[in-house]
Amino acid sequence: MTFLAPAFLLAAGMVAAAVVAIHFIVTREPRTVPLPTARFAPVRPVRTRARRLRLQDLLLMLLRVLAILAVGAGLAQPVLEPPRRALARIILVDRSRAVADPGEVADSARTLFREGDAVVLFDSTAASVRAGALDSLATLARSPARGRLSAALIVALRTASEMRERADSFELAIISPFAADEADLATDSIRALWPGGVRLVRVAARADSAAPATVAFDGEPDDPLRFALVNPRSAGDTASSNVLVVRGTPDAADSAWAAGGARTLVHWPATHGRADDAAAPAVPPPWAVRAAPDSIGGLAAGNAVVVAPFERWAEYDGGAAARAAGDGAGRVVARWADGEPAAIEVPHGAGCIRTVMVGVPARGDLVLQPRFVRLAAVLTGRCGGPVQPGTLDSARLASLAGQPATRHAAGSALPRPEVIRSTLAPWLFAAALGFALAALVAQRRVAGHARASGAGRDA
Amino acid sequence: MQSLADGTLLDAIRGLHWPARRVARGVAHGSHRSRRIGSSPEFMQYREYRPGDDASKIDWKLYGRTGRVNVRETHDDSELRTIILVDASASMAYPLPAMDKWRMASAVALGLAAVALGDRDPVGLAVVGGAGVEVLPPRSATNTAANILRVLAAVVPAGSRPLAPVLSILRTSRRVAIISDFLGDADALLERAAELVAAGREVFAVHIVAREELEPRTLGNLVVDPEEQTIRRPLDEAGLDEYRSAFARWREELASRWQAKGIAYQLAVTDEPADQVIRRVVTPAATAAVTREPS
Repeated sequence: MTFLAPAFLLAAGMVAAAVVAIHFIVTREPRTVPLPTARFAPVRPVRTRARRLRLQDLLLMLLRVLAILAVGAGLAQPVLEPPRRALARIILVDRSRAVADPGEVADSARTLFREGDAVVLFDSTAASVRAGALDSLATLARSPARGRLSAALIVALRTASEMRERADSFELAIISPFAADEADLATDSIRALWPGGVRLVRVAARADSAAPATVAFDGEPDDPLRFALVNPRSAGDTASSNVLVVRGTPDAADSAWAAGGARTLVHWPATHGRADDAAAPAVPPPWAVRAAPDSIGGLAAGNAVVVAPFERWAEYDGGAAARAAGDGAGRVVARWADGEPAAIEVPHGAGCIRTVMVGVPARGDLVLQPRFVRLAAVLTGRCGGPVQPGTLDSARLASLAGQPATRHAAGSALPRPEVIRSTLAPWLFAAALGFALAALVAQRRVAGHARASGAGRDA
Repeated sequence: MQSLADGTLLDAIRGLHWPARRVARGVAHGSHRSRRIGSSPEFMQYREYRPGDDASKIDWKLYGRTGRVNVRETHDDSELRTIILVDASASMAYPLPAMDKWRMASAVALGLAAVALGDRDPVGLAVVGGAGVEVLPPRSATNTAANILRVLAAVVPAGSRPLAPVLSILRTSRRVAIISDFLGDADALLERAAELVAAGREVFAVHIVAREELEPRTLGNLVVDPEEQTIRRPLDEAGLDEYRSAFARWREELASRWQAKGIAYQLAVTDEPADQVIRRVVTPAATAAVTREPS
């Protein structure tokens, strides 16, 4: 056991010693009672009397000392030191859309995993799995989201920091296909924070994960959106497409098509053909028709921004989406200028369904402008966002691995965790409270005994 | 101690009289003999007839026997204005919470008032306490005792206001009864009382002492004077005898000094019946004052 703030324990010990000293050394002044004829009492110095030690007094002192020591120990934040190992691993497991076979990833992780190691599952987000890591690996499923090594490395650093007292050295292993879009500009900087090499375990990349979007369009021939898309294919040509844009209402076949592969079903209701005073088109849940359609001046999706007067007739009910989909409420693909979601993507089988509630203006040349074309490309892109084809090159991988890659990071080289929680402290505070209450009861009993004995003496 | 409200005290003192210790000089009719010559049938003396005397006062039988013309002088019945001064300082609240001293003082005051009213004497009350001085002027109306009881019941002893200045303004009464523990301005009070006696007033002193003052029960503690907080002294078994003897000496000295000034002094201990105290005060033998506490 170690204490995070041992000064508190020292201070509590000193206070407890003072309490003991006071209990044994300090005398008390006699109780004052009114007596009108006090002037006739002989004039004598007021003598203090030493306490007569009784068992109840000792019990009271003991309870007080225990209460003080418990408070001091609680403030000192005792931390139980786990058994220290020579080596602990932190295994980053990629479950992003780039992974071809999640089973292969899980097998690789199980090969490296030892009891006490930490597993970090990541796609666009990362989460450390401490308990039940093997169970998590057994049920590992691929996510439609893009993988982000930066997020995984940050969580790995934090996890290693929390585990620094458990092992002498740490090994960081990354099991991933290392798709090109998994690294970003921050990856190298974050990697540099790890004081050792990184074991890279490459698994097979999904063959179609890096394929560019091939869009099939299911809409009217004069639909203005068609002119914003790059070489859209016909609705019947879904076999060679991985993105299907449906301007009407998707049917079960469309849904099954998206779920059957890494395909994207884009439901983008058309509004350009209706009259100005016509009712807004029906919207799928969790979208809802706005009570009063309004106009919004801008839209942003990915790196595409379009400033134009868009009509907004639907609003996203995030609460309903969360209730319907549990944790996977969906990914916001585009937002209006005021921050409201304009397009949502939810996983659907192996693919995803994206609903885009953006009106495409039928008048003007906005749909032909490059900014709207970029916006349409983002909104009709692959699941998980734009795909950068290929994998990380060897130089980038070498930079990621470090030299030598097998060099372990010393636990002492890892930063101390910002917050270390003492699991014993709350129990110590509770014990202190219990001791204090018991001392209060004992004190009342002692006082009652003193009164009773005083009355008996008077009698 | 008899309760003030249930009437047991008044029953116990029914029929008592509080006669004047000397011939009264009152101007109104009452039950006390006065130096004034009046129409009462009680004979006082003969005096030679002087021109201007009422001819009906001539004792013709005496003239027939002796040949001298004398007039018959009789006593004139006189009433005795009585004021009862009650000390309501903080020390009179002892011992708390029973306030036995105050209860005894109230009972004695009410009893003396009732006895005086029974003698058709006007009775007034002056209560000196922390809330100030409350005075009921001497009255002989039928509700006077009730008014006195009401005032006494409303008082909570507090403070340490001196009695002597109040005594000075009560000189219009022929009889003054002081009920106090005399732990305040006893010397000044005695001086004012002696002045009243010299002026022909009758002064009675009823010294209220609590049983707990005679026999302190809380030994081993620091005793504090409730009116003088700076007096804080330890009182234990070793100092108890010294305390008792000092207190007794003070009481005896107090009694002798007051009696030497012609004041009827009575000691009243809180655990004795109030009617006994009242009897001792109103009986003519009160001059032979009891200065030792009853056993």
